[in-house]
Formats: sequence, structure tokens, C-alpha cells
Amino acid sequence: MSATRTLPIPAHKPSLLTSLKIYREFIRIGFVNILAFRLRYYTGIITYLINVTVYYFIWRAVFANATGSIAGFSLPQILTYVSVGWILRSFYWNTIDQEMAYEVIDGKIAMDFIKPVSVQWMWLARAMGESAFRLILLTAPTAIVVALLFPVLPPASKLNFALFLVAAVGSFFIMGALNFIIGTCAIPLTSILALIRAKFWLIELLSGLLIPLNFFPRSLQIVSSLLPFEHIAYTPLQIYLGRLSTTESLKLLGLEYFWVVALILLGHLWWIRATRKITIHGG
Amino acid sequence: MPDTPLISVSALSKHYRGFKRREGILGGIANLFHREYHTVKAVENVNFEIGRGEMVGYIGPNGAGKSTTIKMLTGILVPTSGEILSNGFVPWRQRAAYVKTIGVVFGQRTQLWWDIATIESFRLLRRIYDVSQRDFDERMELFNQVLGLTELLPVPVRKLSLGQRMRCDLAAALLHNPPILFLDEPTIGLDVVAKDHIRQFLRAINQRYKTTVLLTTHDLDDIEELCRRIMIIDRGIVLYDGPLARLKEQFLRTKQIKFILRDGDQSARLAAFERNLPSLAPNGDSGAATLHLERLDEMTCRLRFDRARVSSSDLIRQILAAVEVRDFVIEDEPIEEIIKRIYSGEAAMTPSLVSEVLETERSSAPR
Repeated sequence: MSATRTLPIPAHKPSLLTSLKIYREFIRIGFVNILAFRLRYYTGIITYLINVTVYYFIWRAVFANATGSIAGFSLPQILTYVSVGWILRSFYWNTIDQEMAYEVIDGKIAMDFIKPVSVQWMWLARAMGESAFRLILLTAPTAIVVALLFPVLPPASKLNFALFLVAAVGSFFIMGALNFIIGTCAIPLTSILALIRAKFWLIELLSGLLIPLNFFPRSLQIVSSLLPFEHIAYTPLQIYLGRLSTTESLKLLGLEYFWVVALILLGHLWWIRATRKITIHGG
Repeated sequence: MPDTPLISVSALSKHYRGFKRREGILGGIANLFHREYHTVKAVENVNFEIGRGEMVGYIGPNGAGKSTTIKMLTGILVPTSGEILSNGFVPWRQRAAYVKTIGVVFGQRTQLWWDIATIESFRLLRRIYDVSQRDFDERMELFNQVLGLTELLPVPVRKLSLGQRMRCDLAAALLHNPPILFLDEPTIGLDVVAKDHIRQFLRAINQRYKTTVLLTTHDLDDIEELCRRIMIIDRGIVLYDGPLARLKEQFLRTKQIKFILRDGDQSARLAAFERNLPSLAPNGDSGAATLHLERLDEMTCRLRFDRARVSSSDLIRQILAAVEVRDFVIEDEPIEEIIKRIYSGEAAMTPSLVSEVLETERSSAPR
């Protein structure tokens, strides 16, 4: 090769502020995008109400013959746990993995590559927009209806509520980072429907959404404490109900945010690895 | 000092590993446990250079490796081996910085957000590429004049027609005024009017901003109207790289007349006509090379001829005199046929000719 090279037409590196503005725009897109699906939104509210109702009656039945408490939960506590749990889920839930899998099959994922942004943060920002939307138009109305229909206890204290909110934001990031990792699997595997299913049930179970984790055998609890899943629902709900001391709560919050950072980092590395051998469908 | 190329590609290859799918239920089960892999050479040892402001057509049949090359040039795919230096970047290594300086349009998909108003996508792209509001307004105004975007902007992308969507996608790819534009089948599936729109726009952009354009296409008209230089690729190998004029002069000589007989009962007359063919060829030429008659079925015949040596009106007169004909179709040889002939070696370019052509093109390429 000759020594002379074409001088690149400069592409200056964006400042942090510009970067934030870019991702803010993705958040907005995520928000606007979900507005396009009115039906999905209405059915969403109904789905969450049905879920709360079903688990409400299951737990009432469980407690029908019990005197006092089971595994440290009284009936009002467990009913609050279930209701707030599903309200929380309406906020942190997203479908990044499914959307990514769809884009891989469709070949549309190629279009993400030609944009000068981090693909991971693009997806996370879109999910943030979606969750902001959910918070206002799904979580809030669901919370109001549930609070009117079912005997939901208020948070243990103002501090507990504040910590609960911090934990809920962490739930979103764990969920988002996990879904990005699963979604990236679509690049080498193409079809990840089974993986998404498996992840779904693993998270429903190990997040503690269906059954509080202290109902599980001790050994399973230990395994779970080494995994990120319980921070999605169990940790915030424990904090909400005031079942932990402030120190314990803060310790768990720290652990939760450790997982947030670890999973985002893992997703970043996995993305780099997976895309090195990419094949794009459709020519 | 000679101008250095904006894009240089050397010894570029991309191999995929595919596996053979066995058929049937038992084969399917066998696939679960053991797969036989084989290597697909999508692109094999491709070399070329493109100068600033050039518009280059990259053509070849389906699966020839065009899109794979474009995807490596845009940083989507990592090559198996070889080098690309485009606008000073190695695409797959400096993806985020590099893609800021290129525009990409894939005709079969869109970079716009499907479910939201088109203008929202433009606003997002303005942010992503850090385009100032003034530049944004100015460019949108220009795009609007040529592509007529105004009425499309409030409409969600999924409700746009293919032609409308392509206009928006082109505008989106050029919003940050990139020095390089890659187009993969930009006119696929479009009607004549829409194709014309797109071509006019590309010409305007190339003239105004000296944008370098590399486009893949099936449509020879795209090339004819836009590009002075053409590269032909098949099965991953570049077969021709040079001026379009030269290609046409050398390989697009053949035209064909298809004619449909009024009834199938004219075999004798047709045979007589065929025997008479060499006499129709200009003096000194052997008839077989210049004129070639084939019977496609009982009723349909195809007569291939060299348009430089035989006039089509003469031929039609002769055909009409010889047989009773219901219908005529006169057409250029399809590009796939030319490529097939080039590939089979019938019209092979010697290496020296290729380099000679390259040299001619380099010196005549717009700078």
C-alpha cells in the first residue's frame, strides 16, 4: 500500500451531553412508539388486573386454613406483596429480547449497525421510553384500580418507599440488561423462542413474583441469593413491606446495582462477541 | 501527485459456514446430532478502488455477493480476510465513528421507525448524527424539492408505499451529508416514475455535494442513467471492472427477437429460413456467430443477432417473408445472460485488458 492515505472527513466524537441528548431522543421514540399500539395498552391494564385477582384469590385460599402467618407473611402482607409485585412488573417489564429476535430473523438488525450509537444503549433507551410510558399510563392506573379493589397496605415508611423506588429502577435495568443478553443470542442462534420462554418462567419464579423466595427450601434460597433475578421483584417488595432493616435494605440495594452494572457489562461483551460472526438474513 | 482513492478494497473475502440439512424426519433427527458443514464463499478475493465523487454500479445476479460486499463496506459484516479502507476508516473496527461519515440505503428494508410518523425518525436521526437545526432545515428543504416529502412527513412509515418509503429512506441516509453513499438495490420493486425520481435525486446529490456513490442493482437502466463505471460480480468474484461504455460495446452486442408463429405447422418453412440465415449475415462473417436461431417451443422461436452487424428491421422483414408470425418481441440480452457468458469464458476479458480498462477509467474518472 502507498504511504498516502485519504484524509478522513472528520467525524468528531460527540460530547457526553450530545450522547445523552441522542439517547433521550431514543427514549422519546420508545414512548411515542408504544402510543401507536392502543389495543395492546388497553389489554395490558386488563391483563395485570386479572393477574392480581387470580393471585389474590390463590393466596386467600392458601391462608384460609392457616392461623397467623406462613413463612413470616401475614395474609394482608402477602396480598400486598402480590398486588404491589404485579404493579411493579407493569413498570419494569419490556420485550427487548423478542424485538431483537424479530429484527434478527427479519434482517432489520443490520440497520442498527449503521447508526453511530451503542446498540445496547439504544435498546435500553428505547425500553426506558417504553417504561416511562408504562409508568404513567399503565402502572399508575393499575395501581389505583388495584388499591381500590384490594386491601393493599401502604409502604412501611417514607424511607422504605423511597428505597423501594430506587430498587424498582434497578429492576428495570436488570430486566433490560438481561433481555438484551437474551436478544443478542438471536444473532448466533437465530431462533430463540425457547430461550425466551425459559427465561420468562425462570424470572417469574426466581424473581419471587409468584411466590416470595422465603417460601422456597433453604438451599434454593442460597442459590437464588447468588443470582441477579431476586432483585427484580423480591428485593423491592421486601423493602416496600419493611421486612428488612435499613442496613439490610441498603446492602441489598448495593448488591442489586452491582448486578445492574455487571449485566450491562456482560451484555456489552456478549454483543461484541456475537456480532463478530454475524450473518445477516436476506442477502 | 495522483489522487488517493476514497475507498480501497484489497483481497477481500467472506466465507460462511453453512450446514447441509438432511431431508425427511430421520434426516431432521440426524441433523440434531451431527451436522455436515461446508464453506460458502460469498465473496472471494475482491479488489477495487473508488475515487471521490465517483458513481459506481455494482451488479451481478442474485446471491453473487453484492450485498455481502456492501455489508462489509458498511461495517455490518467482518470480512474473513482482506482489507478495506474507506474514508480513512476500517469499517468494522471503527464502526461508530465510521458510520457517521456514510449513508446507507438497503432497498429491501428501512432504517426509519415503522410505527411512528416519518418526521419523528428524521428528528431522531438529526440528533444521532448531530446535525444543526439550520443544516437540518436547509437539507430537508432541498430533499423536499426533489423528493416531495412534505405530505409524507406526518404519516407513519408502515403506511407509506414502497416508492414513498424509498424517498424517505434516501433523505434519511443523506441527512448528515455523508461523503459516501452505499445503496443496495435502491430501485427494487419501484415503478418507472419512482425510479426516475430516485435517479434524478442521486444525480443531483452527486453533482452538488460530490457524494461518492456505490450502488448495487439488478436494473441495468440504473447503471445506464447513473454510473460511468460498472463492476460485475458473480459467485463472489469480480468479473469486470471498467467503464459502462466499454462493457456495452463488447458484451451487449447481442439483441434477440422472439417471434411466435401463427400455427405450429411451419417446420419446413422455418428450416428453410434457418438454412438461409448465413446469407443474411454481412459478408465475410460466419453466420453462426452473428445469427443464431433457437426453437423455444413449438410456436416460439428466438433469434439472437449482433446488432452492430445486422439491422433488426432487415431481420423482421426476412422473418415475415419466410413464416407467418403472430407476435414479435425485440429485447436486449438480459444482464444475467451477459454475466453468464462472461463467466463461462465465452466473453472473457484477459487480465491485461482488465487492467487496461481500469487504467482508462481511472484517468477519466471525475475528480
